[in-house]
Amino acid sequence: MTATPAGLLDRLVPPSPPSPRAERGRDWLAAHGLPTTRDEAWRYTPVDDIVGALEAAAPAPASTSQVSRSVVDALAGDHGGPRLVFVNGVFEPRASDAGGAVDGLWLGNRDGMRARPPSPRAAEDQPADGFQALNWAAGRDVAAVLVEPGAQLDQPVHVVHIAAPGEDTTANHPRTVVLAGPGSRVHLIESYVGLPGPSVTNASTRIVAGAGSTVTHHRVQDEAAAAIHVGRTAIDQGARSTLRATSIMTGGHIARSALAIGFDGTDACADIDGLYLPLGHQHHDNVVTVDHRASHCASTQRFTGIVDDHGRGSFSGHVLVRHGTTGTDAHQSNRNLVLAPTAQADTRPWLEILADDVRCTHGATVGRLDDDALFYLRSRGIPLEQGRAMLVAGFAAEIIDAITPATLRDRVAAAFAAGRGG
Amino acid sequence: MLHIERLTASVGDKTILDGLDLDIAAGEIHAVMGPNGAGKSTLSNVLAGRDGYTTTGTVTFEGGDLLALTPEERAAKGLFLAFQHPVEIPGVGNMYFLHTALNAIRLVRGQPEIGAVDFLALAKEHMARLDMDPAFLSRSVNEGFSGGEKKRNEILQLSLLEPRLAILDETDSGLDIDALRVVGEGVERLRHPERSMLIITHHPRLLEFVRPDRVHVLQAGRIVRTGDHHLARELEAVGYGAAAAR
Repeated sequence: MTATPAGLLDRLVPPSPPSPRAERGRDWLAAHGLPTTRDEAWRYTPVDDIVGALEAAAPAPASTSQVSRSVVDALAGDHGGPRLVFVNGVFEPRASDAGGAVDGLWLGNRDGMRARPPSPRAAEDQPADGFQALNWAAGRDVAAVLVEPGAQLDQPVHVVHIAAPGEDTTANHPRTVVLAGPGSRVHLIESYVGLPGPSVTNASTRIVAGAGSTVTHHRVQDEAAAAIHVGRTAIDQGARSTLRATSIMTGGHIARSALAIGFDGTDACADIDGLYLPLGHQHHDNVVTVDHRASHCASTQRFTGIVDDHGRGSFSGHVLVRHGTTGTDAHQSNRNLVLAPTAQADTRPWLEILADDVRCTHGATVGRLDDDALFYLRSRGIPLEQGRAMLVAGFAAEIIDAITPATLRDRVAAAFAAGRGG
Repeated sequence: MLHIERLTASVGDKTILDGLDLDIAAGEIHAVMGPNGAGKSTLSNVLAGRDGYTTTGTVTFEGGDLLALTPEERAAKGLFLAFQHPVEIPGVGNMYFLHTALNAIRLVRGQPEIGAVDFLALAKEHMARLDMDPAFLSRSVNEGFSGGEKKRNEILQLSLLEPRLAILDETDSGLDIDALRVVGEGVERLRHPERSMLIITHHPRLLEFVRPDRVHVLQAGRIVRTGDHHLARELEAVGYGAAAAR
């Protein structure tokens, strides 16, 4: 960590922090600063460029008239359930659809949260890094999804974070909190999208999956071409909970998505998928940590990267099996398809196993398009470019086909095809 | 249909086909047999347009220069290669692949596209004849297929794409006797006055089900002997060396 650039706190953080959390974030940032590429978890990310953009950025305006429902539909889609829309990190009720009353579901923002009893652990939270500290210090609102114990929600809850920059770079700090009560079932879609222009989105999401809950989480980063995105998602899983998480990265100029999953109770499982597609000069980084701090939990990571042009993609996957645990089952795979000699894929599995009774596998591949497969398709009359597109789509199919609901799957497939010129 | 004259093919400085001549008329079935290393797979690869070979000589197919065409242009013109080792393509559905291939060829031939519903019915009809479970349509191309299933999938493609010239490269290898019968009968059913076939094989097993009009012995990159279907039996009885010397 380095000292936070002078003036950055003053410019991006309100003079009087609006909450104890914001105050903790500001203090943490003042003490520890933002990360640098010397920090192991940031080695693949051009963090100097991100800090440079932040130094030049102004706080994003709180409200903008540019964002109507139809704009949200176009950018993020309508997936059938309630939709909370935040513009530059601030709730935009006119574009939202809280969906009337759904049994067992409470949706809201900071104003509504203030009226509720505070979560006991919230007071002890410490930021994981300088960006999260900045998110707390400078964030102006929060998207809250609270699911009551036992509630079974059929329709996905869609949280849309829109970056709406002006002509100069603006910074926004969206925060999302999801509490899934014991035995509940919820499907959350988080869309990070934006209007054209230079923006820095510094997002922080916290999901607590209660004991025996089933949580599906799809995170889609499809921001504008000039956007910078730094996101961190922390998911704590109670005993016997089931998580299906998917992280899709198609947009942005520089984008980093960190996913930290921790098992707090036994017999929980997490299936974590990821797909990233840096094209042009895009940079997509994935940093996944799965902390097996409870026994008899299972995790599977499947990350797929397709890099083309001058794109750079990376995957760092950390599996930590703590001392004193038993019966851990952890698997990790990272497959990369490199389509141009100027594209680059980095893969870094990191298994830290401090217990004996463990089943752990990992595999990473970096390869080119299969010439034999391409010849096979062409020999059946399929033209070269179409054959290439079919093989590239086939490489991503394992991840895309598993996305639900179909509206989101189709949307990701379309964004994929559009990026690939298909 | 197909006229090959003094064809050579080499990889680096290694010559594999060394002045091969072959003529196949419309409706004829020819078998090319030969020992390992004779150049059988190179012949099928060069005809289908695989990269990596330097060639001389001429190959005329349907009156045009075959070697000047891309693999997809050859397919659209009516050439089909049933692969010795069909490629597994994870993530690409078999039905999508077959449908795309058929419509790509129809587009070049100026025929209207076939819609998904009609194609499904057509594919099922062809699969029934090959004793194939329609479930193969929903799997990825050849992924996890057994050897016999892959070969049946090749014959299914052959049957759907209706080529003018079908090259079967070691289609009988790796098949048990039941699968061999299904494949052999499938090929025999595709015999047509306007369709020629070139069966490339090491063993004469497939020829028990498909009777060739001509049998050629390929050795060291050229045809050393040609005969009728009796030649296949002779090869089995006395071996390539002795048969070639006669």
